[in-house]
Amino acid sequence: MKSELMKRWALVALVSGLSACASGPGGSIYVPAGEEAPRAPEPPRVDPGTQEPGVVRKSEQPETPEPRSPSYQDQGDELSPAARSLVQKADSLLASGDARAAVSQLERAQRIAPRSSEVYFALSRAYMALDQLGTAEQFTLKGLSLAGSDAAAQRSGWLLLAEVRRARGNMAGADQAEARAASL
Amino acid sequence: MKKTASPKKTPRKRSAKGGRKPWFWKLFVRLSLIGLVLLAGWTVYLDAVVTSRFEGRRFEVPSRVYARPLELYDGASVSAGALERELELAGYRGDGSGAAGTYRRNGGQFRIHTRGFRFNDGEEPRRSLSLSIFGDRVQQFAVVEGPSSPIVRLEPAQIGGIYPAHNEDRVLVELEQVPELFRNTLMAVEDREFYDHFGIAPLSIARAMLANIRAGEIVQGGSTLTQQLVKNLFLTRDQTLLRKGNEALMSLLLEFHYRKDDILETYMNEVYVGQAGTRAIHGFGLASQFYYGESISDLAPHQIAMLVGLVKGPSYYNPRQNPERARSRRNLVLGVMAEAGLISEQEASRARGQPLGVTGRASWSENRYPAYIDLVRRHLARDYRQEDLQSEGLRIFTTLNPSIQYAAEFAVSDTLNSLDERVEGKLESAMVVTSRDSGEVLALVGGRDPKFAGFNRAVDAWRPIGSLVKPFVYLTALQNPDQYTLVTPVKDEAFSLVFDDGRRWQPKNYDGEERGEVPLHRALSRSYNLPTVRVGLDVGVEAVKTTLQNFGMTGDISEYPSMLLGSVAMTPVTVAQIYQGLATSGFNTPLRTIRQVTDSGGEALTRYSLKVEQVADAAAVHLVQYAMQEAMQEGTGRSAYRTVPEELTLAGKTGTTDDGRDSWFAGFSGDLLAVTWVGRDDNGPTSLSGATGALPVWSRFMSRVPQHGFSPVVPDGVEYHWVNSEKAALTDEHCENARYMPFIVGSEPDIEATCGGSIERRLRSWFEGVFE
Repeated sequence: MKSELMKRWALVALVSGLSACASGPGGSIYVPAGEEAPRAPEPPRVDPGTQEPGVVRKSEQPETPEPRSPSYQDQGDELSPAARSLVQKADSLLASGDARAAVSQLERAQRIAPRSSEVYFALSRAYMALDQLGTAEQFTLKGLSLAGSDAAAQRSGWLLLAEVRRARGNMAGADQAEARAASL
Repeated sequence: MKKTASPKKTPRKRSAKGGRKPWFWKLFVRLSLIGLVLLAGWTVYLDAVVTSRFEGRRFEVPSRVYARPLELYDGASVSAGALERELELAGYRGDGSGAAGTYRRNGGQFRIHTRGFRFNDGEEPRRSLSLSIFGDRVQQFAVVEGPSSPIVRLEPAQIGGIYPAHNEDRVLVELEQVPELFRNTLMAVEDREFYDHFGIAPLSIARAMLANIRAGEIVQGGSTLTQQLVKNLFLTRDQTLLRKGNEALMSLLLEFHYRKDDILETYMNEVYVGQAGTRAIHGFGLASQFYYGESISDLAPHQIAMLVGLVKGPSYYNPRQNPERARSRRNLVLGVMAEAGLISEQEASRARGQPLGVTGRASWSENRYPAYIDLVRRHLARDYRQEDLQSEGLRIFTTLNPSIQYAAEFAVSDTLNSLDERVEGKLESAMVVTSRDSGEVLALVGGRDPKFAGFNRAVDAWRPIGSLVKPFVYLTALQNPDQYTLVTPVKDEAFSLVFDDGRRWQPKNYDGEERGEVPLHRALSRSYNLPTVRVGLDVGVEAVKTTLQNFGMTGDISEYPSMLLGSVAMTPVTVAQIYQGLATSGFNTPLRTIRQVTDSGGEALTRYSLKVEQVADAAAVHLVQYAMQEAMQEGTGRSAYRTVPEELTLAGKTGTTDDGRDSWFAGFSGDLLAVTWVGRDDNGPTSLSGATGALPVWSRFMSRVPQHGFSPVVPDGVEYHWVNSEKAALTDEHCENARYMPFIVGSEPDIEATCGGSIERRLRSWFEGVFE
């Protein structure tokens, strides 16, 4: 994320003489509240508590440097260490047969890492253990929608989908998914 | 309890004269007998009352409603101000004393001493946390004391309750949970002989009188704890001799039937100790939370002294309102404690020096979030009976995010105040904020005065949604890539429809203009009406209706073509529901306000789990998301960036109905989906459009919440190409009018429009290539 930002601003700085740099694919960028762009490190805040709502920062807004274009990204987010710790906890709960508790931990993980395909695949596995195959299939699809160009994630997603579909008795769908995995 | 009508009195007739005649004795004996029988009958009756009430002494315990617990970890998104508010909402004190339930803040540095909480999925033990907040994110998160973990949940703040009709609130405690010092202090002050008397204690009444005379004020009451309990449980407040008699009789009966410990425990749960609005605070379990944010087992001597002292007059000695009076009462009790040998004289004098230390306000105020709780209650009503919610002490864990709620309330009230100057009539508003990928309702505003528990517009205001329907019209079209792409030219020309019954319908653009032909993406991002109706009629009203239903719209949808311009009415919450799928590449996620309901012991009763269901082709949704981002950057939503930081990529759609009766905005970032409505309760016209009414509210909200920009992952089967969208042709990156746009593979234009290409443009493109 950081390097992405730096790349962006290096780009802006270096090519500022030229207008209209098309914003290519980039991950989603974290934007602090009501701050201007993270052009410079934020000065230490003495007491932001007194910063009452109502401060409209229109005048502080930097000039729009160039027209922007809609954003997209090639793959979902990586798991943060915090989210990973929850997924690991869920894995061991699942291994010990407590799929219900695993789901609870995975829902926590999903809330803090909602754009990571890994979390949804893990949810899918937990629901398979609970024999809720329809739910499991949907979570696999959701995870796949975030895999993007990440070949490893794509592969594990399609294989998982094949597994779920087979369990549901959808053999044709399973074969199809398997073929997708193999083609990667 | 059932109250009896005034009891029959023992007939007492005075003999007229003093003569002792046999008939008098006869009468006397008879009357006495009747009297005895009546008294016995009365006693039997009272006995039944006492036992049935006490046996079935299941207090009605209200349900507690909690906000979502704040998760702290490296990278967590929270501003320092929001964290501080959150801590205060959960009853933390910022005194830095280091006790559980306190914190210390130094700029962006926090040291937090958690109290610990038993969640249904595991215990969060007490810990000391150290973290700093920089750029609205948690950094250098570390557990300083207690079991280490990369992620820690704070105790959830209580945000409301569902009370029995009489509004009594309590947290039941068992006698074993109550510290011995607490019990002994209570007895020392209220009833020294509690364990020795049989319900009433004539001697202690006398002793109390003596003590009071000596002290010059009332330091002891004469009634036993049993009598006080009887008074609270069974009797009305009026002071009559008869009532005193009943009280004594019932006290004796209670003592005859039950163990002292049972009586004491019931007393401790029943006693009235304060008031918060219409809510009556009962029992020491709740009192210790209400005044100190602590569990009863963790109280220090000076706190015990205060709570015991309060029994005598909860409002007179209210430590929040009458701190001086409260302090002297507390210190008096400390004296009694020392005198009784419960604490040493040194301990007493140390305790006297302690500040009162009550939390600033009740750890939560009643009905702080009336609109949100209202929605929670409706969701609960699907699975729970009202009487269980009011009496079973359930714990309801909601998805409310207090920081987001705060920002939403502020955005609504502040923006409406500034709109008032420009608009006639009384404006109202509603707002719903959900988590984009989980469908959790994070905030709900039911009107411009968020504290007002009246008409909940977010849930009950059915209003035509205007152009908010357009993304669904185009989504329906874009699902046929053979016929529609983002660059398909669509006619922006007037036409009229004539219905079978002879009526004519002649849609117009908002600005009244016609532009000939426009590419589809622009028709959506600029919200042109004429192309939308043409596209909608082409794909079929029925198909658009199906799309809406797939995305979660329930209820009737008219099949008139005017539906294509949003003549269909929805509530803000419904709009948030159908936009959830648009925001998440076609996955419908049912909106939830509740994660879990547990019983009073923390056992899970119902879980409301995350569910997703794919309802549309992710590729087609991706194209619509492109146009909705364009709306924010170039189209009807662009004024948002007067308030929102430039870096925050957003997608959204305005909606306006005839004469500005409804001003809507619905849109999303990477993390949040928010829907805003502005209009008048009387459905009167305003001079507002979606962009000038609802959008300012929405963008003010978005600008105040730290979050990720919207940047969807490119789905399978979508490729980006440089195109000249006017000509519906592929082009070169450096050409004029070149846009990098997504296409469902195979649907990209097959013609090319090249440009001459100046050196400067080629150079620029080369430069960019270097840094990509």
